[in-house]
Amino acid sequence: MKDLLKKDLRLTVSPLTWFFLAAAGMTMLPGYPILVGAFFVCLGIFYTFQNAREANDTLYTVLLPVRKRDFVAAKYVLVCFFELLAFAGMALLTVLRMTLLANTAAYVQNALMNATPFYLAFVLLVFTAFNVCFLGGFFKTAYAFGRPFFAAAVLIFLLIALGEALHHFPGLAFLNTPGGERLGVQLAALAAAAGICAAGTALSCRVSMARFERIDL
Amino acid sequence: MAILEVSGLCKTYPGFTLDHVGFRVEPGSIMGLIGRNGAGKTTTLKSILNIVHPDAGSIRYFGLELIAREREIKQRIGYAGGAVDYYKRRKIADLLDVTASFYDSWDAAACRKYLDAFSLDTQKTPAQLSEGMRIKLNLTLALSHHAELLILDEPTSGLDPVSREELLEIFLALRDRGVAVLFSTHITADLEKCADGITYISRGKLLASESLPAFLARCAETGAGRNLDEIMVHFEKEDYRERLA
Repeated sequence: MKDLLKKDLRLTVSPLTWFFLAAAGMTMLPGYPILVGAFFVCLGIFYTFQNAREANDTLYTVLLPVRKRDFVAAKYVLVCFFELLAFAGMALLTVLRMTLLANTAAYVQNALMNATPFYLAFVLLVFTAFNVCFLGGFFKTAYAFGRPFFAAAVLIFLLIALGEALHHFPGLAFLNTPGGERLGVQLAALAAAAGICAAGTALSCRVSMARFERIDL
Repeated sequence: MAILEVSGLCKTYPGFTLDHVGFRVEPGSIMGLIGRNGAGKTTTLKSILNIVHPDAGSIRYFGLELIAREREIKQRIGYAGGAVDYYKRRKIADLLDVTASFYDSWDAAACRKYLDAFSLDTQKTPAQLSEGMRIKLNLTLALSHHAELLILDEPTSGLDPVSREELLEIFLALRDRGVAVLFSTHITADLEKCADGITYISRGKLLASESLPAFLARCAETGAGRNLDEIMVHFEKEDYRERLA
């Protein structure tokens, strides 16, 4: 597994994947649907899969003395590694916005989603959608990634729309307070989203392993 | 004990069936897998490497079942599907470093020896190499972990006559060192120069799997031809003039 991960980091990862990690910085933008930053992180990861396909990574790897299921698991670990990097950046910036910058006029008057634990929960849901739809779909063929990415993108934009809409619903305005209101509820939502992300990704990985064992390359 | 033993291999695709193919490769021998384009050579090779899943059949390397002991077996075999066609824009040095990390028996000195012998510059990328040099790079990757069996899919296709001759010499040198080679080709002249045995697949069916001299003698006796070219034409030729009339 460690060797597979090293192989991916050294040979397969697209420079664009690293570049799109900077989209975590969109957490700081006022007047912008900041969840789109999570989508851009996923888009960056998509470029690594495109790179891998162009480089015949799958065939090269399955001919090495590795189990096919480890190949799949390594791809999931690689994706989670980038998602965790992005999430760590987003979480740091969220803390910054909720503390030192909580009273900044641009954030106080922001009509769109503010950076809060609830925002971070939705970031994790976006990553779950990507891991389930894109990765799960990709490993049906280990080749075709256009349709899985489209399906993931549709689901991600529905999640973004939902995230942006929720705080406008009666009684849910607290979700968008720059300084963080009813933090207990928001942190519980974040914990639930983390659980969904972990379970969804693990389940998707198991299904992908089974699918990849069956396909003819 | 055979280094590779395949029996009853079946695989069905829409419009094509590989039908109970079986053969053995002995240590230190060269086995040619022949058949015309689309006969089932690549499907056979992909099946024995677990890249495609056979519908039936048994594949054993060194007496071990492929599916049960795949990782262990792949430590001891090398595959080169012709020229390197992966990571063509990465430096050869990086490709070698990464590949080395997967093999317990990777021999850096042996790798250096093959690189020097094949005049491969590790600062180049595969994309900067000719077809023949990319095949040699693939051989370097396959041999640097002391593979006991080398499996090659049409390695001589697309090579100029000099490169083909060089490649056949490499196979003979490997055989002398006890390495077994299984390679598919439809360039039969290559086999007559180096193969000990022949496995002939026609339209997905096994036509013969035996020693090359015995196969040639049998075909000469029955009037099927005196060399592999004539034999293949005898068994495979279709009358297109009649079909197109």
